[in-house]
Parts: sequence; C-alpha cells; structure tokens
Amino acid sequence: MTRRFALAVCVLAAACRGGDARSGGILVVSAGADAETLFPPLTVGNQGRAVTELIYDKLADIGPGLNTIGDGGFVPKLASSWEWSADSLTITFHLDPRARWHDGQPVTARDVQFAFRVWTDSAVGAVQRAALATVDSVSVPDAHTARAHFRERTPEQFYAFVYTLIPLPAHRLAALADTALHDAPAVRAPIGSGPFRFKSWTPRATLELTANADYYGGRPRIDGVVFAVAAQGATVAARLLAGEADFLEQLAPPDFKQLPADGLVRAQSYGGFDYAFVQFNVNDAAGRPHPLFADRELRRALTMAVNRATIAQSVFDSLARPAIGPFSRTQWTADTTVRGIPFDTVEAIRALDALGWRDTNKDGVRERAGRRLAFSVLVPASSRTRQAAAVLLQAQLKTVGVQVTIEQADFNAFLDRAHRGAFDALVGGVRTSPSPRGVRDVWGTPGPSRGAQNWGRWSNATFDAQVDSALAATNTAAVRAHFRTAYQAAIDDAPAIWLYEPRMFAGVHRRLTTTALRPDAWWSDIAHWTIDRAQRLPRDRRALAAP
Amino acid sequence: MTRRLIARALHAAAVCAVVATSVFALLQFAPGDPFATALDGTDVPPNVRAEWRARYGFDLPPLERFAHWGGALVRGELGYSASRHRAVAEVVRDALPRTLVLVGAALILGFAVGVGAALLQVRHHGRWQDRVLGALTLGGVAMPEFLVGLLAMTWLGARWRIFPVAGLGSLGDATAWPLWERAADYLWHLALPAAVLALAVASRVARHQRAALLGVMREDFIRTARAKGLGEWDVLLRHALPNAIGPVIALLGLALPSLVGGAALIERIFGWPGMGLTLFDALLARDYPLVLAAVLLATLVAVVARTLTDLVADVVAPRRVPVP
Amino acid sequence: MAANTWQRLLADRPARIAGGVLSAAAIAAVLAPWISPYDPTLQPDPVALRLVAPSWHHLFGTDPFSRDVLSRILHGARVSLGVAAGAMLLSVTLGAALGALAAVMGGWVDSIVSGLVDVLIAMPRLLVVIALVATFGALSPWWLIVLIGGSGWLTTARIVRAEFRDHLQREYVLAARALGASRWRLVWRHLLPAVAPQVAVAAALALAAVIPLEAALSFVGLGIQPPLPSWGNILLDGTDYLTSAWWLVVFPIAAVTLTVGSALVLADRLRTAIAGEERAR
Repeated sequence: MTRRFALAVCVLAAACRGGDARSGGILVVSAGADAETLFPPLTVGNQGRAVTELIYDKLADIGPGLNTIGDGGFVPKLASSWEWSADSLTITFHLDPRARWHDGQPVTARDVQFAFRVWTDSAVGAVQRAALATVDSVSVPDAHTARAHFRERTPEQFYAFVYTLIPLPAHRLAALADTALHDAPAVRAPIGSGPFRFKSWTPRATLELTANADYYGGRPRIDGVVFAVAAQGATVAARLLAGEADFLEQLAPPDFKQLPADGLVRAQSYGGFDYAFVQFNVNDAAGRPHPLFADRELRRALTMAVNRATIAQSVFDSLARPAIGPFSRTQWTADTTVRGIPFDTVEAIRALDALGWRDTNKDGVRERAGRRLAFSVLVPASSRTRQAAAVLLQAQLKTVGVQVTIEQADFNAFLDRAHRGAFDALVGGVRTSPSPRGVRDVWGTPGPSRGAQNWGRWSNATFDAQVDSALAATNTAAVRAHFRTAYQAAIDDAPAIWLYEPRMFAGVHRRLTTTALRPDAWWSDIAHWTIDRAQRLPRDRRALAAP
Repeated sequence: MTRRLIARALHAAAVCAVVATSVFALLQFAPGDPFATALDGTDVPPNVRAEWRARYGFDLPPLERFAHWGGALVRGELGYSASRHRAVAEVVRDALPRTLVLVGAALILGFAVGVGAALLQVRHHGRWQDRVLGALTLGGVAMPEFLVGLLAMTWLGARWRIFPVAGLGSLGDATAWPLWERAADYLWHLALPAAVLALAVASRVARHQRAALLGVMREDFIRTARAKGLGEWDVLLRHALPNAIGPVIALLGLALPSLVGGAALIERIFGWPGMGLTLFDALLARDYPLVLAAVLLATLVAVVARTLTDLVADVVAPRRVPVP
Repeated sequence: MAANTWQRLLADRPARIAGGVLSAAAIAAVLAPWISPYDPTLQPDPVALRLVAPSWHHLFGTDPFSRDVLSRILHGARVSLGVAAGAMLLSVTLGAALGALAAVMGGWVDSIVSGLVDVLIAMPRLLVVIALVATFGALSPWWLIVLIGGSGWLTTARIVRAEFRDHLQREYVLAARALGASRWRLVWRHLLPAVAPQVAVAAALALAAVIPLEAALSFVGLGIQPPLPSWGNILLDGTDYLTSAWWLVVFPIAAVTLTVGSALVLADRLRTAIAGEERAR
C-alpha cells in the first residue's frame, strides 16, 4: 500500500518537472562495490559504468522504451542529430556545438574518432570491443561531424555503436601510449563531457562528483553525487536505513523487514534485467556428454520436481516472480505465453521411475546401474539469495529421491570452475542488457560467434537457428515470433531449471525524489533528481548556506 | 643491545622471506584468475582476459614470475595491482595508515581499559566488582569480534542512529569543512570500530593482568610495602603493577597478528578500507602482487611489534614474573 | 604432583561449573539425533512457516527455511564441537610432539621448530585459514579439522618446549639420566605427565579459539556447507535478520559464548591450580 503510494508520488513528481531548476543538496548513493577504473573502455561492473556514464556522455542514449532496433526512441546527447546513408552502412552524427569537456575545450569529431581507435586497440583491451566488430572506421568530415562506417547492416548497429562507444578527450589522452591508458593520472582523474564533474576518489571508500554548471544539457538539479562504498551487504543497507545515504540500487529481501518505522526510507520499484537458474552441465569442455545431465528426460523430470514458485516466494517473499525461460520479463522480446514445464511431483516420480532411476536399496536415493542419482550444485559464496535457493532446491529434490550436495565457492573460484566446466550443476544468474542478443552468448552452442558464457555447453540447433533469424530480422513482429520459438525450444529441452526473476526495489530516502529508474541504468537521469530543500541534512550544509 | 637488534632484524628478514615464498607458492595452486571478474561480480570476456593477462605478465611461468617479483622487491618495488589499476605501493600507502590508526587506537584504549579493570578487580578481589568485571571480560573474549561488530553496526548505527554506520568520515560536503571539524568527524567515525576491537583487547588484557597482579600480590615485597603502612591503591599502583605489567605488554605483541586478522572483518563491516580489507579483497580478486605485499607487511608489522614489545617489557619491568 | 593439580581442579567450584557446561554441550551433541524435536534439515513449509518466533511448537523459533532452530543448534553442536574437539586434539598432539622434540633434541631440530613457530605466529591465523578456504573451496568437516588443527599448534609447542627445557635442568631428571635412563623413557614416564596440566591449559585455550574461527569462516560464506547445521552457519542465517528475528541471533550466540567461556574458565582455574600446586611444593 505504502509502496504504491510512494510510486504515485514519484510519477507525479516526474510529471511536474520544471519550475526552479536547481534543488541543491548532495545525493549520497550507498554502493556494495567500487568502480574498478574510471576509464570507460575498461569498466566491467555496474558501479564503474554508473560513475563513468555520469562523467562522460554518449553520442546518444537509449530511450525509456529500451528499443534496440534502428534508432527508434534514442535520445540525442553529444550528437544533437544524425542521419543514415541510403545503404544504411554509414551514420553521420552532428555534434552539439555547445558540448564542452570539463576543462572548457569543445567536444569535437576527433574525440569520437579517437575513442573508436582506443576501443578497438587490443593493447587497451576494451571489455566491450566485440560490440564494435561491425564498425569499420570513423571519419571526420569536419570538427562537428563524425561519420561511422559499418561493414554490414544489422538491425542493432546504431544501438551497438552509441551504447558502447563513449567519446574520449583526445586533447588530453591522445599523447599517451595506449598501454598507459590503464592507470594514467589523466584517467584516474577524468575530464568528461557529462552532467557531473569528477571531484575526488578514495578507492573502496568514497567517490565524489559535483554538478557540471556548464553542462550543455542544463545544470543538474542537485549539487553533487557521492558514492559511498562498503563491501559488507549489511553495511550497505544499514547506511541507507540510518539515513546516511539517500539511495540504494537494490534492497535485499531481509532489508524490507528492517525498513525504519518512521518512513525515512521507501522502496521504489523498477524493472530489472536479472534472472536466475540452476544450470545443468550437459557436455564437458571436450564435448563428452555428462553422465547424468546429457539425458534430456532426466533434466525435465528434475525440473518437474522443483517448486519454483515456493523458492521464489521463500527467498524473496513477494519480491520476485518465478522465471519462465532464458529471458527477463523486462526485455521487449520476453514472451510470457510460452509453455513451461509444470511443477508436478507425481509426474516427476513417474518419469524418474520410467527412466530406470529407482531406489532399490532403500537408502532414500535412487540408483540406476550402480550409479546414484546424486550431484553437486555450485553456488557463489557472495550471493546469499542463490545459496538460499540451493538449500530449498536440495530439500525439494530429496523428497523425490535425488541427493544434492551444495558446494559454495568464492566468486572467482566459481567462475573458474564454470569456465572449465568443472561442475555438475550451478546456480547461475544473468543480468541481460537491453538487447536480446546476449541470449546467444549465454545459451547458444559454444563456438566462435556464440556461447562464450554457455557453461553447461548445452546445444540445440533449433534454438541457435531461431535466435539467429530473430537477430537478423528488422521487423518487430518477426523478431518476437522467432524468439518465441527459440525460447520454447530452450524451455522444452531444459538446459536449466528457471528459478526466479527478482523485482528491483531501490531504497530511497524520503527527501529524495527520483525520476523513473531505467532498468539497465538506474543512474541515467540523476541530473533530474531533486532533494527537498526543507529536508536538507548537515551533509549539504555548505550548499544550504550558499544562495 | 645493538647486536641483539641486528640479530632480530636478520631473523625478521628470514621470516619475511619464508612467508613470501610460501604464500607465492600457495597462490599458484589457487583456482581463479586475477582478470576474471569485476568487483561486483560481472565477468570479463575470455578474449579480453587473455589480453590483460599478457599485458601484466601473468602468462609467464610461475618461477619466472616469482623471480621478476622478487627482483623488483629487492629494488624496492612492490609491483602492480591489476584489480585496482594502480601500483601496489600506492594502494598500501592509502590503506596501511588506516589500519595502524584503527589497531593502534584499539590497542591503546584496550590496554588502558583492560589494566584499569584488572586493578579494580584485584582491589576488590572476590567481591561483586571482581565478579561482574570477570563475567564481562570473559564474555568479551568468548564473543567473536565480527559478531560484536555486526551487532554494534546494526543496532548502535542503523537502528538507534547513535554512531555513524560506516566509512572514514561524513559524506557530502565534509571535504570542505574546517580541519578541526574534519578531525573530530574522523574520530567520531573511528569510535565504533575501534571500540569493538578495543573490547576484545581489553578483555584479554584484563584477564591476564588480573592473574599477573594476583600472583605478585602474594610476594614478600608487597607484604613489606603494606607493613610500611601504604594504602591499598598505593601498593597496587606503585609496587604490584610495575612488577606485573611486563608479561602483559609482551602478550600484546604476540596478540597483534590475531588482532590484525580480526580487524579484517571489522574493517569490512565498518567500511574502513585498511590493510585487512585490502588483503581480503585482493584474495578474492586473486590479485597476487597485492596479496603478497599485504601478507609481507602484516608479517613485518607483527615481527616489529613483537620485538618492540619485548624491549618495552624489558625496560618497564626488568624483573620478569613467570606468565601465569 | 600432576595428580594433585587435578584434585585441586576438581575441588574448585567455577571449574566444576565450566566443566559441567562443556559436558552438557558434549552430551547434547552426542544425543542430538534422539533429543532433537525435529529433523534439522526438514523444511515443513518454507513460505508460511519461515522465521516463526519461539513458541511451544518451536522453542527456539524457525529459520528462513522454516527449519527448527533448536534442532539445528543441537545438531550444530555435533558439527561445531566435533570440529573443535578434533582440531583441538590435532593441534595439541602436534604441538606437544613438536615442542617435546625441539626441547629434547635441541640443535637444528630446535632451530627448525622454533623458526616455523616464528613464521606461523607472525601470520594472522584467521586470514590464513580464510585465504586457504577461499582459494581451495569450502571444505568438508574433516579437512576443516586438519586445516584449523594444523594451524593452531604453535601455542602448545611453545609451552611444552619451555616446560621441557625447564624440567630437563631439574635435579630429578639429571639424576635419572646419570643413572642411565634413556631420554625418551624419561620423556614418556616423567616429563609428559609433569607438563600434562600445562598442555591441558593449552587444549582448553585451543578449544576456545576454534569455535569462533568456525563461525568466522561461516560468516564469509565458506564454513560448513548446507544443509549440515553448525553454530557458525546458523549464526550466518541470523546475520540477515539482526534486528528482525532475535531468536536467530541470541540462541546461537548463547551456545557459542557459553561453550567458549567455559573452556576459558577451565583454562583459568587449571592455571590457578598449577600455580597453587607449585607454591605448595
């Protein structure tokens, strides 16, 4: 009830933007991780992205509809306009002449060209380099015009280019060798083009940004942003609950039980791109089938034996929905009408019996030809929710005579074993991007163009073909239709037990009014957030004293 | 004296060398990759990882890497921390003072409170003061530090909002405050984590100090002092304490490594980015140069502290009473 | 003389109480399967019955998976005390053996053992154990015993070495050796019994150190693996609900603190008894 009310207030506030542009106040964000670097090509995690995207603007940003096909819905940023060539192989961006780097220099087309060179140089090792694979070059007809030349036409070529590439200040960085870009002082104290200027960074503690008064898109309404970092989950939440921070990206289920009674903090719902699953190891690295999970019918029988709704509800209360398949409901290609494998213990027992898995020696665990129906589930020690899901799964499968051992490993060891295929099953989670393309990396047959993160090495020709067709289609209805067939193929083949999709709830201090939070980047519109003048805190003192 | 110091220094160097070699060897067996993941657990694509490995020399054979690392160490370089895109020396320069402040404050506070409690207990030996303090110090030793820290953080910090929850200082525009205000703010943020660690120190010190004092109180010279008509507090402070404090100081030196270990979790809980947290993060990130530097430093501090406390104990109380 | 120390200890009331608490915990651990009201891994209804406050049905309430906390603490005693006792035995045996070896053999053996002690004592044990577990993955209880026990023998070794060296200078030893008694016979017949009370002190202290260590390992997510209950992982489940489900915090803390406290008291009283015995002599 209160949540719905809070939502309504925020929608209203977003609607009645305008009036006094500046609200002042310093926004404190409680974060569970620090940015690993402030150099956009090298940021990996969400936190690094958040900070760099506040400091640096892109040419254009994805719209609230999160469309990734063509340029529909994209919002002009550094590029005030753009046009396509007739063959769609060239896109010409016209830069906003008002755009300035934080040191006062104008943002020029050379900066775009320079950024492209940095992004595609293997000496730098940009994380998202693959996304720019179809871009041939960037040319500079004049100082305010940059032209991207593509090797081939793809439906998402515009999205891939502007979502990945962030123009960099050539006048400051071009003199440096590309190998020095990892840690040069100019990179650690960046000069950007975005709504916030870099102020200071104490690694693993605080990262401070101040509003850029000369921002070409208009000065942000707050005076600055501080990211406060703590490694312990309880501490990250406690900072918000104590009122020391104004914003927390995601409240964990136990945090809801601890929301202060005085209404200091409210939960604000927004779309999430996460889904979690128990992934079966179908084939090992050499392509040999797994002794248990190469069997499709066994995977389906195990899926039937697991009550996904109970797991979602027990771990998340009402804060998650059972997952449907290899996608998140927030993606535009999501299809909630596909047929899932129902939870049915009786049917699961019958299927296991039919497959020859019977408990002949009455030890509570089924056997077949001398092999027990027992396997281990790998869980990252860093995720309390995935551990909880594993404990519930273990108890549920025990009732149908399947023995599950839980193996917790720290995240690095978890990834190592996942990459090597050294596991029976694992509780995995995916944060998808707005593009549906990512599904090809996670669930496509491992090979040069797909399946880089398909740790279970599941392979399905129908799925691969349908995903390829979907990604080549330019017509929304066709894309949806192909994805529907692909999703159905994946669900029927059960490479994983689809567990849950967490609903995202940000924790928001009552003095803060946010605009709508974008599922892929909650920080995208911070420049328009406001802090109630009447609820200023000592931490905004100076701003309060200033007019 | 000089000879003893030189011997000590050589010994410390040998200990450090053994520690460094064994830690390096151990890390070779650890699964994982320093370039596999970001801090919040997003994984890096394999092709990019290969490029980064090559860039930082992680594709060399282990022995060659050890030789490189050892050679650089002799030249006074600690190497490069790939997980932080920074020189290890810079990371350490940031983190080490924070741990020294935290552990130093805990030691001083804990020592003072612990000795005070012990004096009180001995003065009122066998009465309720002794029993209450005895129960408290027992609890202080028996409760794991991270639990006390977690409880203090959630209840005193988040729930009752008496102390700041975490961090090195106030957030927002605190960097613009006048110096004295920032100093006060820093101490205010130090209070809770330091108090939690100090509680553990005080409990241990009190229990040992009480036992040591009771041992000394049976000695003849105490009887003589009493016979001279000195008050009970005078006897305690002037005669008993100087003779009983030496072993307790030595004990502190021995307890330092475990204090540093406990400080790691406390630093994590209170968002205090010192050496403990650095080591912990570096381990999880498989950032070998940083792990090695942190372990070496911890060892060095422990060895130095032990030497120092031995010397201090000798100076303060040349007459050693056997540790009870 | 050692025998008298034990008699002194038995006559001491705090020591008897502490011993009683420890014995009670040990008996509870042994009898857990018969006295637990529920199966500690049973999840009757992980949605409706999760985090139920203490009542007559669940004296200590239920945890986030609807499991009975009392049953988990009783069964957890098996694991936690089992690991603690195992690690304690290992570290004390190892420590006594190495300490004795160093003292009796002297020379390079002594140098090696003392050097090893110096190296290991300089490294924070908690961090070393966490590092090992983090890098090699969570361990079975047996490996945990080996790891914790193998890293905890330093104190015992130091004590035994010092005591042995002291005794080796005493007249009765010198006399026995002059009469032609072998070194190892001396160790076995005279020295070991003489230092037994001191070793017992070290053992009690080792027990007191191991239980919190297991809890700390669980706290970083690398302790005993679910669904096996241990006091450490029960506490871990509680740390998410520090302000909302007190029964998940108070009962396991009480279990840990009472056991560790008792071990400490025992060590204390034993020390007093030894000192008293030496004075009486």
